[in-house]
Amino acid sequence: MKPLRPTADAAALPSVTFGQRSMMWWGTLGFMTIEGWTIALLVAAYLYLRQNYVAWPPLRTPNPSLLIPTINLALMLVSIVPAWITARAAARLDTAAVKRWLVLTCIIELPILVLRWWELWALNTRWDTTAYGSAAWTIVGFHTSLLLLDVLDTYGLTLFYFLRRQPVKTFSDTADNSFYWYFTIGIWIPIYLIVYVGPRIA
Amino acid sequence: MTPDRADRADGAPLPAVLTLSESELAGDAAALDAAWRDRPGLWGWLTAVDHKSIGRRYIITAFLMFLAGGIEAALMRAQLARPENTLLGPDRYNQIFTTHGTTMMFLFAVPMMTAMGLYFVPLMVGARTVAFPRLNAFGYWTYVVGVVFLYVSLFANTGPDAGWFAYVPLSGPQYSPGHRVDVWAQVVTFTEIAALCAAVNVIVTVFKMRAPGMSLNRIPLFVWAQLVVAFMIVFAMPAVATGSTLMLATDRAVNMHWFNPAEGGDALLWQHMFWFFGHPEVYIIFLPALGMITPIVETFCRRPVFGYTAIVMANITTAFFAFGLWVHHMFATPIPELGESLFTAASMVIAIPTGVQIFCWIATMWLGRARLTVPMLFVLGFIFTFVNGGITGVMLASVAFDKQAHDTFFVVAHLHYVLLGGGVMPLFGAFYFWFPKVTGRILNATLGKVHFWLFLIGVNVTFFPMHILGLEGMPRRVYTYLAPTGWGPLNLVASIGAVTIALSVLVFLINAIRSWTRGEPAGENPWDSSGLEWAVPSPPPSYNFLHSPVVRSRHPLWDTDVELPVVTGLRTDRKEVLITSTFDAMPDSRHSSPEPSIWPAYLALCMGVVFIGSIFSPYYVLGGLGLSMIGLFGWGWQSSKGIESELVAVPNGAMVERA
Repeated sequence: MKPLRPTADAAALPSVTFGQRSMMWWGTLGFMTIEGWTIALLVAAYLYLRQNYVAWPPLRTPNPSLLIPTINLALMLVSIVPAWITARAAARLDTAAVKRWLVLTCIIELPILVLRWWELWALNTRWDTTAYGSAAWTIVGFHTSLLLLDVLDTYGLTLFYFLRRQPVKTFSDTADNSFYWYFTIGIWIPIYLIVYVGPRIA
Repeated sequence: MTPDRADRADGAPLPAVLTLSESELAGDAAALDAAWRDRPGLWGWLTAVDHKSIGRRYIITAFLMFLAGGIEAALMRAQLARPENTLLGPDRYNQIFTTHGTTMMFLFAVPMMTAMGLYFVPLMVGARTVAFPRLNAFGYWTYVVGVVFLYVSLFANTGPDAGWFAYVPLSGPQYSPGHRVDVWAQVVTFTEIAALCAAVNVIVTVFKMRAPGMSLNRIPLFVWAQLVVAFMIVFAMPAVATGSTLMLATDRAVNMHWFNPAEGGDALLWQHMFWFFGHPEVYIIFLPALGMITPIVETFCRRPVFGYTAIVMANITTAFFAFGLWVHHMFATPIPELGESLFTAASMVIAIPTGVQIFCWIATMWLGRARLTVPMLFVLGFIFTFVNGGITGVMLASVAFDKQAHDTFFVVAHLHYVLLGGGVMPLFGAFYFWFPKVTGRILNATLGKVHFWLFLIGVNVTFFPMHILGLEGMPRRVYTYLAPTGWGPLNLVASIGAVTIALSVLVFLINAIRSWTRGEPAGENPWDSSGLEWAVPSPPPSYNFLHSPVVRSRHPLWDTDVELPVVTGLRTDRKEVLITSTFDAMPDSRHSSPEPSIWPAYLALCMGVVFIGSIFSPYYVLGGLGLSMIGLFGWGWQSSKGIESELVAVPNGAMVERA
């Protein structure tokens, strides 16, 4: 075997990193791309089906209600604040602040999930009435699965902090959890505009 | 670019040269193996996360699917060998041809190509494992659930029967009652989840785990192909997953109307969703196969490939164009004329980047000294067969011709020339090339040559007559035909060709089994090849590399350095991987890698309950999701195991030590 020529010492390198230096951030970005693209395809299919209709929503189908979706949208936008502060605290490795803000994030995320139930019914149609209903329900339903996933992740992380199952890399995971939440909320804005507001201005 | 020489963690300068004694090397190897190897026994098998264990299983499972799909093909050829044959009835025939297509595309070709990546990419980029080993295992188990589900259904006479692209309205609730199409829709779901997991894993492994010095312009071409294909999977697979799971399955299970024209739905929407995936799918199979060709040509022509940059660019261009051709599968539907022209042009243009790659290999052979080993024979067989398939592809790109040949055996001939020539031939070449690395033994060359010639002759004898049959008007997917059509003799020739292909695969199987146990030992680098995967023992140890390699060229093993550049200081007492920067591959951090885990297999089973159950009742979906909560919690619990003190890079650039 050839003699070795050391060029760098890995022991001097950090074992926990944040953002694009960490693998988990890239993995999260990968799944965000897949899920965001799925929503884009669903929205494209929704608009494709619209060409089959003279009226949109179809005749005798009321417009989606805006009250609950608008309240929930406001709540979602507000929820970005604690998620963002949590990520900042995680980056400072400040356990006490992370716990505090994670709990607050949990508190604000729960009503968002609960309101989603009425938000589905605010579509004012059923999935099995027309193709319009099928498309609208599927888009909002798929987004609900992302919402549920991230809420579960937030609750799980919070639990682990309180159970002291918390190696340092959990801070990086906490920052990535907020990163995923921004995506979940960000992608909802076009859905809200297209599915809830769109039929009114068509 | 080579990383600058850095000082050690304690501030002392690094030694210029490190000469380790045999006992020191053996000590390091033993410590690393203890940290990295999977557990023994059945439990160890179920909890394995080593990318080589998972990759090997994936390859073997996908090859078994190739055999299953081949048996179905043989049954079809037996049925069609003479007019008005009664071996298979129409119902059985429908299930067999649908299962053949579904198996070959979804359970053999794509999983096989991603599996080759999951096994070899870490070895080729100098990493100890993949980025997400548990996700890798989860993907494999999910795929296995799909495999088992399809074949149990087939033997229960519930095999899908609406064709591998399941066109609505035939596959919709009105014309396909029962559960056969549901089986198809969910098998597709499983294989899409598996492919997406593999894609994310490959992307992050290539972005973050390359050996220091492996800048973008030094990435091996097989790895480039895998990276490009991983991106294609990310954008292609969601289309069919959306189409099959969120649309077709919901139309069938909960009365949605995506494809029901009576309620504003649209049957053509299905064709768009399917082919937006289905056409890139061909390149998802084909580009990794092209990636396998380059190292074979380089090794056996004894020179670096001609036109590295051109080949990388050709890969990326092909990937872009691949998403702009799907409508050429729909020329027989009412598509606007402008659309037809655009998709015709795109379908012809995509031949150019593929041509560029083929000319680069021919130039390499021309400039080097080619040795006609078995892998090289398969490369030459690929060029001959694939170019034929490519030319009929350009013919089909013309709308006027396509309308004549649509749904005839001409299309069957074309797609088999492309997939067997462009996918399976390079794959067999790759088996001969890398078998020594995986098993430590070389495949017998004489049997290899018999395999090659039987396969080449068999493919051409089977599929060439189908061009003529198609031009004579024989439609695809018919279970029989009448004698006065005159199609009997050519069908018989095609069936004789199929027997020849079966013989060739049998020869390969005998060779593989025999060589695995009694073949000639390979050593580290039997072909004197240049990639990093040849720098480790065959088969590779659990930790892949004893010392993390540093590369200074595209052909690290052909460099003539006196000393081996390495990165030292990674832990040997636990699983630790080196992370490098995305573009220049400079050492950046080290991450721990997960221990063996049962949760990937458990969660894959839960997905089985969710998706298979969704065919029967929404309660199974809720139950499956409930059960998967336990798995997600277990997964997180395992991840949150404490590690003593860690050196943390906080985002403002400082580094702190934290317990």
